Amino acid sequence: MNKRPLQEPTFLLLTALAQGPQHGYGIMTDVERMSGGRVKLRAGTLYAALDRVVAEGLVEADREEVVDGRLRRYYRLTPPGGDRLAAEVERLRQNAAVAAKRLELRHRAMGDLA
Amino acid sequence: MTAAGGLEARYRRLLRWYPPSYRGRHEDEILGVLMAAARPEQRRPGARESLDLLWSALRIRIRMILRGADSQPWADALAQVGVLLPLLMLLLKLTEFLSAGAHRSFGTPADILIGAYGQPGAYAFSFQANPYSVALTGNITDALTKGPLPALLLAVLVLLGWRRAAAVLAAFVPLAFLGISLTNGYTLLAGPRGDVTLYAYGLEALILLITPGTARGWRALRWRPTVLLAAATVAAGIGINGGLWPLFHAPLSRPFGLAGRMALRAQLPQGFIGRLFGVGAGQWGDWLLYQGTLVAVIAVALIAMLAGSPVSRRMLALLAIPFALGAVIYLCSLISPPPPASAGNALAVSPLVLFLLVAMVYWLGHGPRAGQDVPGRPAAPGDA
Repeated sequence: MNKRPLQEPTFLLLTALAQGPQHGYGIMTDVERMSGGRVKLRAGTLYAALDRVVAEGLVEADREEVVDGRLRRYYRLTPPGGDRLAAEVERLRQNAAVAAKRLELRHRAMGDLA
Repeated sequence: MTAAGGLEARYRRLLRWYPPSYRGRHEDEILGVLMAAARPEQRRPGARESLDLLWSALRIRIRMILRGADSQPWADALAQVGVLLPLLMLLLKLTEFLSAGAHRSFGTPADILIGAYGQPGAYAFSFQANPYSVALTGNITDALTKGPLPALLLAVLVLLGWRRAAAVLAAFVPLAFLGISLTNGYTLLAGPRGDVTLYAYGLEALILLITPGTARGWRALRWRPTVLLAAATVAAGIGINGGLWPLFHAPLSRPFGLAGRMALRAQLPQGFIGRLFGVGAGQWGDWLLYQGTLVAVIAVALIAMLAGSPVSRRMLALLAIPFALGAVIYLCSLISPPPPASAGNALAVSPLVLFLLVAMVYWLGHGPRAGQDVPGRPAAPGDA
């Protein structure tokens, strides 16, 4: 499995699908909401990212619907995709824990100096 | 047209930059997302949206080529060029041989072997005029690039379907030439025509390694673009070598015979092409005759090819690679003051090294499945 850190848009894309299958526009709005408006996936970028994660076996098509005459394809996380996201979450958690601990030590040291 | 209708049509135009097969699977889906994300009364795609789509289309195209998915047009083009390129190289040698022979004389077998067409005694003279080792290495390198034997052998191997043997020969010719040239202090930048031949061999080696077999190329060949291209190339070869001149203006030499000469003269009136292009006899007229014929034939072939199928366009691009590289090398050879010999050689060699490296990487990465899609792997979203 690819153990490289996920890029933020990919991480958010997988996170958007962690709760259940979503269609393209749903993923787009969810990513924007989760990131507080900081990350906006445009349609081209979104589908290029989807193309990549599908090719890597992290995501797969779930079902199709036709709404207002337009095709909607839903995507879902595959088991390897869930594992990959979990591994990334753990990596980020460990990094965050180390950073938090060192910051706490730093604050203590600065408090002692003061 | 409504604002939404106009916007949709413009988005569809942008989506045409995506590969056709990808568009077939996802166009409506992406369009749905784009329309859902559009502002009310929006009439045109935004600049960022357009750039995002174009950039993503490029990424998808590159990714599909690299992963081998959706590569049917490329696979077909490679398979056909793998067969066509050696045949064209052989045809060019044949036209050089015939035109030079028609002009002067066909020479001895040794002269023909070293590509000294129309220069009888050139082989023997090279040994009289140079030290033995110099004449020998010069003749070997000439036999590799100018002579017809490697092209003939390669064409035969390809026609027999012996792909690996053909690939080894195609790789051997430029490597042997480079080995001899560089160890004997030859300047590669000074011979762009020979470089084109070397690049053609390198490209052929690469193609033979990454395509599953030459039989597919034979099956895939279609008469229209192939014959057109072959005709254009042969005509270009004849034109470059002045082969049209003896046919239309000069007395025909012996191989054609009296009857053949009379028949040809009857069918092809003297000066026909000259009148066709509106030029008379004389130096500039002759020049225009050659160039005009050549340019017209190539232009017609190019237009027909470009207007043809996606496979034809890819074939054209592949066949243009050796010539484009040769043109770059030629332009570099015009730089004044000329670059150091080592820099010129490095420049001339770099495309070949690149071909062989790509071939090696592809071979190591794909092995016996070369050229085929990896089974069971989805090509793109929605294929799962």
